[in-house]
Formats: sequence, structure tokens, C-alpha cells
Amino acid sequence: MDQKEFEQQLQDSVGVERGPYLGWDTCNKAMIRHWCDAMGDTNSVYSDPAVAATIGGDGSGVLAPPTMLQAWTMVGFGGTHPQGSDERHPVPALDVLDAAGYQAVVATNCEQEYFQPIAEGDDIKSYSSIEAISEQKTTALGVGYFVTQLMEYRNQRDEKVGEMRFRILKYKPHDRTESEAG
Amino acid sequence: MSLKFSQVNVGDELPPLNIDITTKLITGAAIATRDYQDVHRDQDAARALGSPDIFMNILTTNGLVGRYVTDWTGSAGVLKKVGIKLGAPNYPGDSMVFSGEVMATDRSQQLVELKIVGANSLGHHVTANVTVQLPGKG
Repeated sequence: MDQKEFEQQLQDSVGVERGPYLGWDTCNKAMIRHWCDAMGDTNSVYSDPAVAATIGGDGSGVLAPPTMLQAWTMVGFGGTHPQGSDERHPVPALDVLDAAGYQAVVATNCEQEYFQPIAEGDDIKSYSSIEAISEQKTTALGVGYFVTQLMEYRNQRDEKVGEMRFRILKYKPHDRTESEAG
Repeated sequence: MSLKFSQVNVGDELPPLNIDITTKLITGAAIATRDYQDVHRDQDAARALGSPDIFMNILTTNGLVGRYVTDWTGSAGVLKKVGIKLGAPNYPGDSMVFSGEVMATDRSQQLVELKIVGANSLGHHVTANVTVQLPGKG
């Protein structure tokens, strides 16, 4: 496969949606508390249902920090999503890049937008598509491609609660001895 | 007490916040964010990938940026957008200082746009654009 065919194969994966990816846990107070505890976040909308009700809670439970969006549908300790999830990789182009030797990865940007609060009791699922793949770029780290993944998060009522654009660089690291010499 | 929209002006600065970057914070927060990647807890694994030490995961950086903003607004501030760009990694033993500035306001929806920077000894760990909605009539 020549370079042109390879890049065409990458571009063909743009716009293909995968999912749903289900969450292991219903949104709950314990995971919210663990998050806030580690972050040092003492905002009481995450711990007091009455305060949560002032910004969109229904009074029966707390709200999750909006920045937890991504955490609800992360893979578990075993590296998988729960049964009922799409079993395919959410970002098919990563397999193509891995196979071509672009195996190193670094996250560069993460843009989250929140449309409504995630509250205790919500079940979150995500859908993934590739929004864009750059042309081949030479960066300080190596030669590779920027891949922008668009994640959409929906609740048990199928309402879109948030979305996230996650940009990574998939690259072949520069040869260390070469770059040290140069 | 929560900040009201009418109290905020373009150019206002957020009070700085220092975060000590410890092994405990990096590993504890990685697990709390449900990120089990070995580079956030295993020094050998991090070194094998060319990194001098374990480093903070992106979800923790997101969580800390969100905390920094709502520490400023109080509980009535509603985060609408958090966009972050990562730069210098957060390694154990370093510290990161957050600073922030009001870049724009939108009276019709009581939105405030902020630019947040988290700087460590190596440079800017994170540059963020955050939109938060505040209560109170403009």
C-alpha cells in the first residue's frame, strides 16, 4: 500500500460513528466524592442535594462535576466496556495507524461542552466518531497524524448531555540517536 | 457566596491557586478519574516511553481546571465549556500555579469567558478556555 492509499484509508474512517459505549456505573455519590476528594474540589453542588437543586438538580441527589463527563464511560480495570457496548474500537483509524508503525500517542487538546447536568441516578453512554485526521505532520516528537475524536454523551432518556473533542497525535518517535547527533 | 454576573468585568483576574504535584495526587487522581494507564503510576513504564517520570493524566487536569473556576464563582457558577490544550507535563515534585482572566462576557445569557493558565517549572502545563454561566441580572 502506498502513502496515498494509506492516507485514503485514514480519511475513509472520518465520520463513521461507533457506539454505544455504556458506563460501568450509574452516576453515583461515591464516585463523585472520590473525584472531588482527589481534586480538592469542595463545591457543595457535588455533595449537597439542596445546593445542587439551585443549579439544575431535582433535589433528590447531587450533581456530578461537569468535567467528569469522560469518566462515566471509561473502560474498566480490565480494559473493556460493559456488556451491551459496541465491541469495536471507538476510533478505527488508530488500528490503521498502529499497524503502519505510528504507535506512540500523546493527547494535545480536550474540549468539552455541557448541555445539561449529569445527576446522581443518570446512566451515561457515549458514541464516538472521527471528526478529522490531519495531513502527515512533522512535530518535535516525531512524524505523525493529528486525530480528532468527537464523543457524544447521552443519558437514559437519550438526551445529549455533553460532547467532547479529543485530539491526539499518533506518531513515530524521532530516532533518538539521530536527533541527539543532530 | 456566589459571584453574580454583574460583578464581573472583562480584564478581571482570578486569584491564583497553587497545586502541589505529588505522586499521591497523580496516582490517586488517575484512579479517581478511572484512568488505569500505567504511565500515571508506574515509573518504569513511563520511562520506557521516554518520559522522565510518571505524569498527570488529562482528566485530572480537566478536573482541576473546573475546580479552579468554580472555586472563584462559588456554587452558582455553571460550567458550560472547558477546552484545554496540554503543554509541559506535570511530574511529581513540581508545583502548578493556576491564573485566570476574564476575556469576554455575554450579557444575554450571563456567560463569562475565561482564559486559564496552569504553569509549572517547565512552562505552561495547560492553557484553557472556559465558559461559565453566572446568576443575577446583567
